[in-house]
Amino acid sequence: MQSFISAKNLSKSYGDTLALDDVSFQVYPNEIVGFIGPDGSGKSTLFQILTTLLIPDSGSATIAGFDTGRDFPKIRSSIGYMPGRFSLYPDLSVEENLRFFANIFGSSIEENYEMIKGVYTLLAPFAKRKAGALSGGMKQKLALCCALIHKPLVLFLDEPTTGVDAVSRTEFWDNLVQIRDGGIPIVVSTPYMDEATRCDRVAMIYGGKIMQMDTPEYIIANYQGSLLAIRTQERYLAKQLLSQIKGIDSVFTFGDAIHISLPERTEPIIDEIDAVLQRELSSTYSITEILPNFEDCFLQFMRQKSHE
Amino acid sequence: MKNLMVFVRKEMLHILRDPKSLLIMILLPLVEILLFGFVLRFEINSANIAVYDMAKQTKSIQLVQRLEGGKRFQVIVANSMPEAEAMLLSGEVKAILTIGADFDQKAVAKMESPLQLLLDASDPNLASTLNTYLSATINDFWTENYPQNHLPIITELSQNGDPTPTSPSRHLATSLTIEPMLYYNPLLKSVYATIPGLISVVLMLICALMTSISLTREKETGTMNVLLISPLNPLQIIIGKLLPYLLVSMLNVAIILTLAFTVFGMPLAGSFTMLILVSLLYCLCALALGFLISTKAKTQQLAMMVSLAGLMLPTTLLSGMIYPIQNMPTWLQNITLAIPARWYVSILKHIMIKGSPIAAYGMDIFVLIFITGIIIALSLKSFKIRFR
Repeated sequence: MQSFISAKNLSKSYGDTLALDDVSFQVYPNEIVGFIGPDGSGKSTLFQILTTLLIPDSGSATIAGFDTGRDFPKIRSSIGYMPGRFSLYPDLSVEENLRFFANIFGSSIEENYEMIKGVYTLLAPFAKRKAGALSGGMKQKLALCCALIHKPLVLFLDEPTTGVDAVSRTEFWDNLVQIRDGGIPIVVSTPYMDEATRCDRVAMIYGGKIMQMDTPEYIIANYQGSLLAIRTQERYLAKQLLSQIKGIDSVFTFGDAIHISLPERTEPIIDEIDAVLQRELSSTYSITEILPNFEDCFLQFMRQKSHE
Repeated sequence: MKNLMVFVRKEMLHILRDPKSLLIMILLPLVEILLFGFVLRFEINSANIAVYDMAKQTKSIQLVQRLEGGKRFQVIVANSMPEAEAMLLSGEVKAILTIGADFDQKAVAKMESPLQLLLDASDPNLASTLNTYLSATINDFWTENYPQNHLPIITELSQNGDPTPTSPSRHLATSLTIEPMLYYNPLLKSVYATIPGLISVVLMLICALMTSISLTREKETGTMNVLLISPLNPLQIIIGKLLPYLLVSMLNVAIILTLAFTVFGMPLAGSFTMLILVSLLYCLCALALGFLISTKAKTQQLAMMVSLAGLMLPTTLLSGMIYPIQNMPTWLQNITLAIPARWYVSILKHIMIKGSPIAAYGMDIFVLIFITGIIIALSLKSFKIRFR
């Protein structure tokens, strides 16, 4: 399939800090591609390069065949961009903001209402309210509408769900799926691991490099080794004990349990863990084997990366 | 073009949505003009002078009465020269007028009459202004009473209030008398000099402030990034910012000129239309300067500091508003060429006071247009369409 966005060997550094290190990838039409990584991993730099706001030190990228450096005016007038921070006019009403962003692209709300219908129905009751007086979730919906109203070829969303409540986040992702189904590819960045499964493909980005890029299902299925969850009242003591056992990759707290990752599933090591806990803990405990989630995969990649 | 109108409409909404700022933008110039207009005055409204009348005749008493009658002087009668000199030394009076004993007789006989004026020149501005006023008053008195006589003034300028006369009777040459005629501002009203300067300062500061804050606010709220990723180009953004604020400036120009004509009694000798057009040109120049500042400044605070403090000094000092440009060293005079206020003040004086034909200030208008063009070009050049 012909790729819609193509990035080749993008690198960018700020002084001595390498923000983006030889990044290449493709985005195809009709997919949501998520860039997932912690703060400072290079997501924003990548977005600024793709949206033509920043010129890479080396490498190049094209969007719909246009070069992000040379053809920047063409790209600027045909993409939709929603920055991470709320960047609309707080003193203008919901409707005025939307109308402004439609009109500067030579379009109108009426002409492209179908584009935003799904999101805007929730906002419509507040059409006359000042954008600055909206709640966080509503602001984010309005920003999405403003990025969509000119019927862009592709949507860039830089950490759109940061600082938004869980319910609004779920609704927001439902909206993104609708938009993709309407024929607009979406490139989104997020620091939240649980959002990875909502993407068609995910790029795990850390230290300015893409560690892996694939469907979330594939990434989870290819988790190396196995995971055990241990539930006990004495988490702190248990964690200390476990970290002394050889043959365990890592021990970390996950919610109210302790997760242990093993290079491979073998009976002797499970027996050893059981024996140690039996001997040292005074209260009851449980050991269960669990399926890894995306965060486990990410942490595993991160560990491998820092060992290199 | 359609994009531009959309942008202008958005800017107008910002202005109207923030009535407090709009009020400040309109009231601030009003208050500034009123305050400075009343404070910045160089003429003397009541200075004390001592008169030592040795003659004590009808004519000399009439002369003293004439001086007392004018609003500008407070006359203190001295009974001896040492007494008068003591007053000058203590600073109680700023000048002494001595009327010679045979003053009337000599005047009637068409001889030179002994009148002596001693001035405290420790304040040179005051001394020369007093000299002008006193001479004018005595001239008037003279031409009324002795129509065919030449004038009798002896002037001694004493430094530091030390009235030691170097040559006690240095008479004016009898063969040639220079009678100055003051054109355009015969009463030497200082508002004629200060008001054009004030108008230029107030318009410069307020206009530059408006655009510089407006653009840096877009940077601070992050809306600038969203504007960049749109079909808008820098020229459209510049014009879109300038046009709405030019409308606000028109309001300012109207208020300031109304004050100048009514409260301060400025004349309008030339064309009103030209006055308005030139004022708008000057506002446009100041607005563009504000835009240029905001392409460099990252925050609203910095933009405000630069527009107020940074533009205040050059505009007041180098525009010829307070200090004559001709008195400056050459290198400083060359710098004043780049100060828009210099040209605007010059045009204002031509139009308001002199009523000169347009040919007299056409060059000044041209220079102002040129400077405005340069500022807009520089703004376009330094307008960042990318990060870093």
